[in-house]
Amino acid sequence: MKKATVLLLGLLLLLTAVLATAAPKVVVKTMGYGDNSNPEGVNWLRIVAAFEKANPDIDIDFELLYDEAYHQKVVARLAAGDVPHLAYMGADARWGAPWKEAGQQFDHKPYMDPKYYDFKLIPEMGPKGEIWEIPLGTSNICTVLYMNEKLVKSLGFAAPKTYQDIAAMAPAAKAKGLDVVSIDGADGWAWGSCLMSMVIARLSGDAHWVSKAVEGKYKFSDKVFVDSLAFIERMVKDGTIASKSVLVDYGANLSNFSNEKALFMVQGHWIAGSIENPEVANNTLMMAWPKLPGEKSATAGSVAAAISIGYGITKAGAADPKVRDAALKFLQYFYSHAETTQRLRDGAIIAPVLKNFKVPDDLPRLVKQKVGLAQSAMNTDVIDAFLSGAPNDALNAGMQKIAAGQATARKVAEEVEALRRK
Amino acid sequence: MKKRDYQALVAYLGLVVPGLTVYLVIVAYPILYSMWLSLTDFNPNRGGSWSLVGLLQYRTMIQDPAFWHALKNNLTVVAVSVFGQIPIGFALAYILFRKLVRAGRFYQSMVFLPHFLSTIVIGTMWKRLFQADGPVARLLQILSGDPTSQFDLMLRAETVMYPIGFALIWMYTGLYMIVFLANMQKIDASMIEAAKIDGASEPQIFFRLIVPLLSGTILVATTLAIAGSLRGFDLIFAMTTQGLTRMNAEVLPIFMYRTAFQDYSNPMRFAYGSAISNIIVVISVALILLSNYIGRRLHAGEEH
Repeated sequence: MKKATVLLLGLLLLLTAVLATAAPKVVVKTMGYGDNSNPEGVNWLRIVAAFEKANPDIDIDFELLYDEAYHQKVVARLAAGDVPHLAYMGADARWGAPWKEAGQQFDHKPYMDPKYYDFKLIPEMGPKGEIWEIPLGTSNICTVLYMNEKLVKSLGFAAPKTYQDIAAMAPAAKAKGLDVVSIDGADGWAWGSCLMSMVIARLSGDAHWVSKAVEGKYKFSDKVFVDSLAFIERMVKDGTIASKSVLVDYGANLSNFSNEKALFMVQGHWIAGSIENPEVANNTLMMAWPKLPGEKSATAGSVAAAISIGYGITKAGAADPKVRDAALKFLQYFYSHAETTQRLRDGAIIAPVLKNFKVPDDLPRLVKQKVGLAQSAMNTDVIDAFLSGAPNDALNAGMQKIAAGQATARKVAEEVEALRRK
Repeated sequence: MKKRDYQALVAYLGLVVPGLTVYLVIVAYPILYSMWLSLTDFNPNRGGSWSLVGLLQYRTMIQDPAFWHALKNNLTVVAVSVFGQIPIGFALAYILFRKLVRAGRFYQSMVFLPHFLSTIVIGTMWKRLFQADGPVARLLQILSGDPTSQFDLMLRAETVMYPIGFALIWMYTGLYMIVFLANMQKIDASMIEAAKIDGASEPQIFFRLIVPLLSGTILVATTLAIAGSLRGFDLIFAMTTQGLTRMNAEVLPIFMYRTAFQDYSNPMRFAYGSAISNIIVVISVALILLSNYIGRRLHAGEEH
């Protein structure tokens, strides 16, 4: 009995000594983006598990949230002082605002290997050329026009070169019970990000009209913006966009296009990988909007695009060199060529920001089109990357009212300008 | 101090202090913090210095048309709860209690079923029902013979609360029905028998016996309905989409959320949001006091 007790005590002492001498793990508090069912979330879980296995001294202590829940939690955590060390973030008025306000943006540039990252493809995000987050891809194209080529051909038409070509399809589409252009008009942001951002740049001929208007160099009540808003009225009148679009949400829009209920769909590039009907996906063409009536040559063929979202270390994370280095090590793993290729295949990014990246030859057709679009089209401002709060809310709801026939373009434009000045 | 008094004091403190501490930290501190925050320009997200601005946030609020719009919607929700859910719940409970329908257990389960579902699931379901060419729109198209008909009440500020009110009644009536039914089952059956022997009709039994006996329960249910309606956020948030429908249906908690958590153009957004949340509490207390006053005038809850 005595021997057993001594042995047990000895084992306990040994265990205590081992635990005491083992190096403590570096914990990187992280906010990830995704859910357990989408590619972003599934890949996140896989990457973290693999990284932790390869680096047992680092613990990526993450919280995985998606969409509105993510934005809510970011604000709540920052306000409560519970600042993560590493987080999914952006650098614009929507994705970057809470981090900027909290003073948590950290310049990654000095820590990024110029032999690994292609700085020509990473836009400057701060006034001194800082890089607040490492973007997943080159940009987020928000105003892509998806065309079901087979469906359009079945009605006797070809890919449109002008808006009038699209309008000409309306009677034939209506006769078949099809929508011409499907948009998730129930989402206020879709009108701004996915349609109006392109229209204002095209009609004004200024790729940065929106950012200049937010700075006060232009007014949202200027004729060109009123004319741009009036384009929605015209689209409804022409039958290219149905007024019922205001009752179509994100999922229903995608479903309409995937189920061949619409000839075209308006959305961002990121939705390309979500067209689940393989026949439709194989017959889909991604394009910039064709020539609009009254558009200026300076911005012809342009698309509205925002700085891509990515992961970034916060100032709180950078404060401790051990945590900062662990987070940088994880980022290097996260942005590896293999993972970037996977993101490209999933449709999550347009083009990588890595040097010496070899684009695989066997990419899906839609992904190749996306890369082509990113390489060929001029990029212009996305509205909600610059305009936020009450003016942006009024603009989004105003465009929905215009589509529903409840407001005029001038009234909405004046309301937005009044709120911006306030 | 005598030894016995000292022991009593220690026992007293031992019993009171833990509960009081929890109350102060979890309940009192956030309330006081919110009140303080609403009188300042402090932004906890930004941190740094702050200054007292007096009633600036409250003045801004009463000049903000969005506040009055949200308040109007909130009062509509209160009205739907008090004059919709409670009477319907009471009537259903009475029907089940008096066994006026067959398969009472089945109906009881069906009416209470929404309470087993997540509010977000229910909100999403109603949103799907009301979407373009959704089930409700299809029904309208069949009834009107117009294939372009859509259910567009959600798109107009003046009509948006009708579908939302309907969904609120569908979701919460079951709860009040169960509360009333449980209390009805405690009523002495001999009282009803006596009323019947005296020749009372079913409506007389309902209005002159059951309603007065359950007046206290009705008062409690009204208080719960008012408090619940004023802090109601989830169902309306889930039923609407960011943009026109949510702005149309905005109630005070959503207005508070939009202001404090989304309006980056307002550097005092957290202070403004706190002012809104404080006003929600004030309105809630005022309405509950009013309902208690009316209850007293009607002798609700008195022993019979």
